[in-house]
Amino acid sequence: MYEEIGCFDLSNMQQQEGLIQAEDGFSQTHIPNYSNPTFSMEEHLNYNQNHPTQQDVAAAVLEMEFQQQIMQQGETHLMQEIVNDSNWQEMSNFNGNMNQYSLPETPYPTTPDLLNMFSLPRCSSSTASLLHSAQKSPNFLASLGRLGDLNPVDGALASASVVYDPLLPLNLPPQPPLLRELFHSLPHGGYAMGGSRTSGSLFPGVVDERDVNGGDGRHFDNGVFGFTGDMDCIGKNRDGNDTKHLTTERHKRVLLNDKFMSLRSLVPNPTKKDRASVVGDAIEYINELKRTVNELKVLAEKKRSCKERLKRAKRGDDTMEGNIDTGSLDDMKQPYNVSSLRCSWLHRKSKNTEVDVRIVDDEVTVKLVQQKRINSLLFVSKVLEELQLDLHHVSGGLIGDYYSFLFNSKLCEGSIVNASAIANKLIEVMDKQYAAVPPTSSY
Amino acid sequence: MEKRKHIDSDDEDDKYKSKNLEAERRRRKKLNDRLLELRSLVPIITNMNKATIITDAVTYIEELQRHVKDLSDQLLEMDANCVNEKETTKIEEIDSAKEMKTWGIEPEVQVTSIDGTRLWIKIVYQKVKGGFTKIMEAMSVLGFELTDISVTTSKGAILVTSCVEGTRGGLPDVDQIKELLSEIIKSI
Repeated sequence: MYEEIGCFDLSNMQQQEGLIQAEDGFSQTHIPNYSNPTFSMEEHLNYNQNHPTQQDVAAAVLEMEFQQQIMQQGETHLMQEIVNDSNWQEMSNFNGNMNQYSLPETPYPTTPDLLNMFSLPRCSSSTASLLHSAQKSPNFLASLGRLGDLNPVDGALASASVVYDPLLPLNLPPQPPLLRELFHSLPHGGYAMGGSRTSGSLFPGVVDERDVNGGDGRHFDNGVFGFTGDMDCIGKNRDGNDTKHLTTERHKRVLLNDKFMSLRSLVPNPTKKDRASVVGDAIEYINELKRTVNELKVLAEKKRSCKERLKRAKRGDDTMEGNIDTGSLDDMKQPYNVSSLRCSWLHRKSKNTEVDVRIVDDEVTVKLVQQKRINSLLFVSKVLEELQLDLHHVSGGLIGDYYSFLFNSKLCEGSIVNASAIANKLIEVMDKQYAAVPPTSSY
Repeated sequence: MEKRKHIDSDDEDDKYKSKNLEAERRRRKKLNDRLLELRSLVPIITNMNKATIITDAVTYIEELQRHVKDLSDQLLEMDANCVNEKETTKIEEIDSAKEMKTWGIEPEVQVTSIDGTRLWIKIVYQKVKGGFTKIMEAMSVLGFELTDISVTTSKGAILVTSCVEGTRGGLPDVDQIKELLSEIIKSI
């Protein structure tokens, strides 16, 4: 809504200096139209160009005022009266004073008439709607009453908020001190959401009032406020706390928690749900992924060089017979130089199994810890066989409630099995077994 | 986001308050340290606040996962391509039977009873692929629960030493077990 409001001609600003007084008054009377801002906004948009700055809004206000002045040449005395009036409760007096405007029964009678006086073809149709909106919206009056409790500065705020109402053509006699304050406050950052307090409680207050009105209908761009939650609690409390800030803070926290949860979902072994352990798991997982990437790179490199050698050996077959055996053997030994030593380490945990796989060159060391179940060794040895790992050392046994084993095996030449494959496969098999075997008390 | 409540300064309250304060501070410090560590690992950093650290970490992890997948697919492809070539290159494998004979190692089975509830088993057999699995199968068939086990390979032979506990009521006869295991070894 704020963007749309800034559609006044900036150029008129300088001319409006003396007309500041008119501003506040008519902005006050715009409040009844607040509950139906969208409609009026569109009208106003048609009327004006787009200038999305605070100064523009002020300028627009002033411009409106200027036009009003032109219309109401003889009504300056009336404006003076209104100028003195800084209290909401005295709006009724307003009505009496505004008789000459021959307004209908609305509390802010000047509104519709001024519109007519403007002879703005596009805006005129909005008169009826304005009347309409002015008559209904008891909530709005209640909120007005609320505003009435505020000190004059806040009153300026309220009026300031109304100033940004696109129905500015329906201006009313201003109140100079309030408007001056408003005008000064405008360049100071405008609708900084809960941000700068330089202009006192001006803009948060302004924003709050808008929030209040927004509760009636979600006209306000949610993006501006950043939340679609319950608007009832927004706005200035009786005790003066800034609940708008509270809500943005809450929203920020919700977003942050969602991010933590998504991080947790990526990690393979999520343990606790609290933030610190999520981050800790993520760190370990990132390191593991890096190691896996390196391992795979080395494997690929080895494989590639192996292929090359094979090709050369094959070609060599044709040319040099007899020398090939020793030649190829020597070549085979070359991949195991230090620079391309393949090494990796992985640690995986599941509900009742813990697997630690370390690979250095062609030696695979697997540590397994699991809750007491029978036949676990059998399954492990089956898995290792499947993965073409040559088992040549095993040790372990029962420790309290757990089985703990250490397996040393050798990789077959040219095998592309990597650490994570081994770990995953083991965990998978173990978990399957646990699911299959029902718990027995004898163990 | 801590709320400091203003309670009457009571000695006990102060103690609880300061303990809580300290605990809360330590908790926050732990979280912040870990966040810093996470930030240090991730190469792409946009902003330096909590939310962006997490988002950047998520992006980085996903990227790494994709990388791993690509590399392993590549490897699989390479492996598939040169399967036929593998057969032509064979490293000399130790002929285990020959080795055992050279060193005078004979396959054997020893079964001894301990305390009447447990058994101690020693097996020596020729190193062959799948041999260990067969022995494990035999153990499970016999209903043995391993208390501990040790397996070593040397000179073409595998030595299995294990202390087992019977799970099926009474222990079968020691000699019977020995017979059974010897049979199995021969079949390896």
